[in-house]
Amino acid sequence: MYRYDEFDHEIVQSRVKQFTAQVERRLDGRLTEAQFRPLRLMNGLYLQLHAYMLRVAVPYGTLSSKQMRQLAMIADKYDRGYGHITTRQNVQFNWPELTDVPDILQDLADVEMHGFQTSGNCIRNVTSDPYAGATAEEIEDPRPTAELLRQWSTLHPEFAFLPRKFKIAVVASKTDRAVIRAHDIGIEIVQNDAGETGYHIIVGGGLGRTPIIGQTLRAFLPREELLPYLEATLRVYNRYGRRDNKYKARIKILVTETGIEEFTKQVEEEYATLEPLDIAVSPEEVARITAYFSDPDFETLPAHSDAYKAKLLDDKDFALWAENNLAEHKQDGYAIVNISLKPLDLAPGDITADQMRAVADLADEFSFSEIRTTHQQNIVLPHVKKSDLHALYGKLQKVKLAADNIGLITDIICCPGMDFCALATARSIPLSQAIAQRFADPVRQRAIGEMQIKISGCINACGHHHVGHIGILGLEKAGVEFYQVKLGGDASENAAVGQVTGPGFSQEELVDSIERLVDYYIDIREEGERFIDSFKRLGMAPFKEVLYAA
Amino acid sequence: MSTLKHKGKGPQSLTANELREGMNVWLTAEFEWSRDYGEALQTEDEAVMEKMQAKGDADENDNLVVGVYFIDVEPDTGLPVRYREKFRVKGPSYDTADELGLQKVK
Repeated sequence: MYRYDEFDHEIVQSRVKQFTAQVERRLDGRLTEAQFRPLRLMNGLYLQLHAYMLRVAVPYGTLSSKQMRQLAMIADKYDRGYGHITTRQNVQFNWPELTDVPDILQDLADVEMHGFQTSGNCIRNVTSDPYAGATAEEIEDPRPTAELLRQWSTLHPEFAFLPRKFKIAVVASKTDRAVIRAHDIGIEIVQNDAGETGYHIIVGGGLGRTPIIGQTLRAFLPREELLPYLEATLRVYNRYGRRDNKYKARIKILVTETGIEEFTKQVEEEYATLEPLDIAVSPEEVARITAYFSDPDFETLPAHSDAYKAKLLDDKDFALWAENNLAEHKQDGYAIVNISLKPLDLAPGDITADQMRAVADLADEFSFSEIRTTHQQNIVLPHVKKSDLHALYGKLQKVKLAADNIGLITDIICCPGMDFCALATARSIPLSQAIAQRFADPVRQRAIGEMQIKISGCINACGHHHVGHIGILGLEKAGVEFYQVKLGGDASENAAVGQVTGPGFSQEELVDSIERLVDYYIDIREEGERFIDSFKRLGMAPFKEVLYAA
Repeated sequence: MSTLKHKGKGPQSLTANELREGMNVWLTAEFEWSRDYGEALQTEDEAVMEKMQAKGDADENDNLVVGVYFIDVEPDTGLPVRYREKFRVKGPSYDTADELGLQKVK
């Protein structure tokens, strides 16, 4: 994991001191709310529907066990004993008090954490593949690139007041686990025909009220050109991005209105004016950062573990969990473990302080103290020996973290919705629970197979509903919540925006309608077809008919 | 200073958030702030509303509350008209802390 250098420590500690004084000045009136609001937002502190909310950055979703324990302590001491994993891999606390926030920021700084870049029109916390450094699929670990971007973008004076917020994600596998095509800039680490490693730069993707899939800006960008080229791209955005209308201010609108060819030309022209060496970091600095992400001391193990196989045969529940929650590791004898935060009875992405401590302990015992958060609002232990998996599973069961539904219909992405969010138009958590309860039968879930339901409580789409196989948008009219449905969205490397089916549903109607839809899919699917595959084969018409059949 | 003057129809209540703790509050008949909407002053009297606005502005200036604004109230139920405001009154319909009996450990 990356460790702060002296400069990082200085920045974070200075910010704590600054914010402590700013809170003091706010409380005694030397700062008005209008003056204070941008300052608190720069530290991730929002005023939400019922109370303050603090969003803590988890750069590229990587946490140490020490950091997780500190988050647990903060949840207990300053909040209500739990936290929430967001779709940007961050952690939110729903009930902090303003007077406690300086202490919280100090506690975060003590473990090299903060709330920078979790709000405002800046480059937000960079997200990445939660399997980074562990999956055999990747060309290289994407986290050094993400860390480079974090350092470049943190407090960059030219990018502190962009026309609108700016989200970047990085992956290094063909399998996209970070939804890079729905980002302002998506970066895919690739190799060219000569075997050189570089970057496929995708621009102008995004969700929100205008969902757009990103387009290629450069198919192959040499490694050393990354920062200068992104700097040129941001300059063009800063220059031409609209500031007169916040709903048209994202780069996706600029790229769409300008056209990708003309936009690319503008970026290349700007790039030609730069002195790349003034911006690019040296290979030595890249190597220094990369060294922080070197592999842990893996044991040399056979690819197959007899002990693990025996447990799979002995313990049926464990076998079911292993079938859904594990992923292939690059190192023989190891597995990537997904810990589901989607139990049937709690809100998606919520984790109690006790569970955070348990995850930290398990990371220490089984995964080199490493933890990842995912945009699907789950947790990953990236490096677990197969021979340890059964013991780990038993310990997860004890803290109610052994749900075996990763990738299934109850593994729902869901924003906080009207229950917490000041922007929301309808609730999303109760709907996700109602759907999860309807499909609670584990046999049925497995029979349905991979299914991504994503729910947003407003048009801003924090719940990624545009790219859900079944996407649900909560709205409200005359005091009544209703839910609009999209079908055929895809968050993977085959990214697609779902199509709206038609009129909205009440919560009760919608759960029944989804059940009919799922039953229909099971009836008509061909061998090996997932829901999204059947939808692509047959198109909207038959699914829509079933959805509105009642 | 509040920028949201009374523009609503029918009975009105005045709401805000506590500056320190952030919680939702409503102005009572005693011109105090309460976290209990049941104690909220509801009035159609423009003169009273002017006094409420003045109290809100004063308490915002004194750094007690933030984001003061009037809300429309349903005459028959006494509840806020807007769905969002109903939610501010009721609190979350779901909160993991309530579900599991979790509390701040200070």
